[in-house]
Amino acid sequence: MRNPFEGLRPALEVITREARVLPATGQAIEDLVRPDHEEVIDRLRSVHDKVLDVLLEAPNREPYVELRPIHRTERHLLRYFLDGSARTFFLGDVVEGTRRTPVHVAQIGAAAVFRKDNGQINVAQVVRQIVLMMDKNAVSFGEEVQRIVSQAGPLYAFHDTMAEDGETEVTAPGKEPRSRAAHKAHHLMARLEDEIGRTLSREEGQWLVLDGSLGKDLYSWRDVPQFFGVTKSFSREPIFKLPGARGGQVINLYELLVGLPFSARTCVFSARSGKVGVWYVRLREQRHLDYPLMGVVKVEFPNPSTEAIPSELIDEISAALIAERQVTPHGKDIRWHAHLYPIYLAEQAVKNSFVSSEVLKAGLKWPGITHDRIIR
Amino acid sequence: MAEELEKDAVAPSERRIVGKASATERDPNSSEKFSFWLAPEEIVNPFDIIEAEQMEGTRTFGLVTNIKQITDAPSHLSNFISNDFGSPTSTPQTPRQGANVGEVSVLANYDPSEPKRYPMGIYMPVQSDAPVRFADEAGIHVALGIDKMFEYEKEYKEKITVPAGLLRMSNGTKVGVYLDKRYVLGPEGAHVNIAGISGLATKTSYAMFLIQSILQTIGAKDIAVILLNVKQNDLLVIDRPRKGMKPEEHEMWEFLGLRPQPFENVRYLLPWGKDTQTTGLPNCFGEPPDQFQTYAYSLEDVIGNRIHPGPGLGLLIRVPDPWDTLGALIGEIQQGIINQEPKWKSVTTWDALLNGPPLIDKGVPQTVKEVRASSVGRFIRILRRVVKNRQSGIFVEQRAPRRAANLGEEVRKIEGGQTMVVDIAKLTDEERALVFGHIIQEIYAMYAEATVDERGELPKKVIIFVDELNKYAPARRGETESSILGYVLDIAARGRSLGVILISAEQFMSEVHGQVVGNCSTKVIGRSDSSELADAAYRFIAQDVKAHLTRLDKGELLLAHPIYRQPVKIEFPRPAFEAIGHERLGW
Repeated sequence: MRNPFEGLRPALEVITREARVLPATGQAIEDLVRPDHEEVIDRLRSVHDKVLDVLLEAPNREPYVELRPIHRTERHLLRYFLDGSARTFFLGDVVEGTRRTPVHVAQIGAAAVFRKDNGQINVAQVVRQIVLMMDKNAVSFGEEVQRIVSQAGPLYAFHDTMAEDGETEVTAPGKEPRSRAAHKAHHLMARLEDEIGRTLSREEGQWLVLDGSLGKDLYSWRDVPQFFGVTKSFSREPIFKLPGARGGQVINLYELLVGLPFSARTCVFSARSGKVGVWYVRLREQRHLDYPLMGVVKVEFPNPSTEAIPSELIDEISAALIAERQVTPHGKDIRWHAHLYPIYLAEQAVKNSFVSSEVLKAGLKWPGITHDRIIR
Repeated sequence: MAEELEKDAVAPSERRIVGKASATERDPNSSEKFSFWLAPEEIVNPFDIIEAEQMEGTRTFGLVTNIKQITDAPSHLSNFISNDFGSPTSTPQTPRQGANVGEVSVLANYDPSEPKRYPMGIYMPVQSDAPVRFADEAGIHVALGIDKMFEYEKEYKEKITVPAGLLRMSNGTKVGVYLDKRYVLGPEGAHVNIAGISGLATKTSYAMFLIQSILQTIGAKDIAVILLNVKQNDLLVIDRPRKGMKPEEHEMWEFLGLRPQPFENVRYLLPWGKDTQTTGLPNCFGEPPDQFQTYAYSLEDVIGNRIHPGPGLGLLIRVPDPWDTLGALIGEIQQGIINQEPKWKSVTTWDALLNGPPLIDKGVPQTVKEVRASSVGRFIRILRRVVKNRQSGIFVEQRAPRRAANLGEEVRKIEGGQTMVVDIAKLTDEERALVFGHIIQEIYAMYAEATVDERGELPKKVIIFVDELNKYAPARRGETESSILGYVLDIAARGRSLGVILISAEQFMSEVHGQVVGNCSTKVIGRSDSSELADAAYRFIAQDVKAHLTRLDKGELLLAHPIYRQPVKIEFPRPAFEAIGHERLGW
């Protein structure tokens, strides 16, 4: 098997030639994203929706709607499921004079899976990239490294860790590039998800379910039909105004979800100035779980017209989501209670396309750096 | 035949791929074993033979030993929770991801190129993701090493393949399975042992099928067969064609290149009974065959004479004799009678031996040389029980040669092409041991002590079939022990060089002497229970395969042969002779 990271070797050679390298102890080290990135992104994207007080559906005015699950054998609505994954590894610090930058390599990817009539899952599309990340402007040879990587082929990409993208600087505040790399990789992964989601060829009536909240750039999705986002870890900050007598009732998320029965949804709230409809669906009975927020997913539905969304459509989608509670990735993912199994499978499809950590550590070595030089 | 197979064979690339080899961190492939995942909807079963593409364009054949389903559920609890917290009626929206994984024991590697670049084969582990297909007929023969038999036949113009049954695979492929004559009739190996609780008459039926197969393919004229009938009248009708054979039974015989025909040139030897003197009928179950001869034992027949010693009294005394007291006394008696010593001259009948001098005087046991009177008394008590009180009628005071034959003399007259059926179904255990011991002693003496000229007159091979071998060659020394064991061990060890072949059967191989089983080159096992299969006698079967042996159907057997790298599951056609016993018992 040829070294899958061979394409990055010329760039690493330039770095070792031009600067002093302080390699990561014991080869590449995986940098993990903490806290839960999905929740952070959801919080970021709903930063302007602290108070959800407008209902965006008609004719329903009830705060909770109980539903009968719609199984695929009855009506198979949800056909495509999309998820991405990113793994970031710290290779070492590069020092040029008084300036320095950490160097990272990320494996990022996204996959869409298709569910057949019999429930079996096929991979519809999967993309993967290996990204070299560093603070390009911190060193004199940053541009050259970028040029070399961009010539290495479509599998490889270069990204400036410090480049602003509207999210990373919020999710990983501060100027420290090391802490930003994993968040940056997730941002790049979201771009791959976005690319697959927008270009996926689907027949009418075949809904696409995205993992996580809808991206900021909904304009680019304006021609994409029948999709919505499902978030399993969501922001707990919003406050809701429920319809009712004497002007209704204002409650927080905990109160909203404690009252949400099993196999039911909340009413749809307007977010992002009505361009997105938001509601919550309880997939699992509370008595089986530890906490009221468990077993609930948040649904974000694109609504470019900003008109009220038909409640019937919301019910159909929600009922189809409730049917997704079987089976679960219990034991494989701590978020199993709110995880849709096909989304989990899409995530697995991406992860299985990644090179293993062992191969990555063996394949990514600083050229020309021997053990004794590291000690010195 | 090999050429025909090659001509009819479908190129591997045209056969459907059913899965791909799979090697993982925890379950790597090796030179001996590999795993493969199966495409959904594909069905394979244990004992199917599959092939995987191997390096350098070669193919690796293997026997499926087990199939497992793996899923991504880390625990049963996860599955419980996934079914809506234990709802047995729920249907998953997305079925849990799982795969059926077959475990395979490598049989052989085949290099299709000519001249062969890898004549020894490539035994590198099957590489992960190598396409896997069902093997075809030619492939199965390569896998089992049968192709080498065909090559030998072609090169030396000598028939060595003996049809042994039919291998049927999950994809519908039917393949004839063959034994190598050199490992069945010698000289490379010999003997066949059949064990199991497969069902009524399955073991006997298979033995009859195999003997018929040997006679039809190797040539009946040089082979003599001696069959011991131990159950009902099962083997007393083997020369009568079976009526109402179904077309599929005919087809199975013909598929294996055999004719469904009964045995020819059969002699029946039936035991003398208590009523035979008056009725003229032998002591057998049901109607005797049209042509038969009775046999009986007088004292002289058991002891014999100087030229032809008899089977001996030792075969009748099946009690522990740790100090060889009874053995010494038997030696004295036999020596005295054979040498016609003065004090033994009057001992010519069983009555004379048991009631008169020199063993008894006025009703009191006497000391005989160093053997004390008490031991003599014990010997008389045991012998009286066997030849007088509990006998079936086979022991007679005087045998009239025209009415009852001496079994030893009849055995010595056997010729090539002849099948002799000796009925022992109604005999007591001691009598059965005497008859079987007498037969193998005579056969062994005929071949082991024959001069070169005498050998030329004997059949080239003698096949002896006996059921319930555990009674004659028990694994453990015990109360039923008798001197017959020595004869059986001799036949087992030296039979292949002499041309004396033992085809034996028993329910439990664990109860048969290890040396006898060990010397049987070919082992056939029917359904057996798991406690029996835990015995060391079944070491040659892989653990996974053992589990499947507990649920073999009637008519299905596991066949282990030195040429095959792994045992295979076979079916075989019902005997073509009139099997009264089988039909009555529900075959």
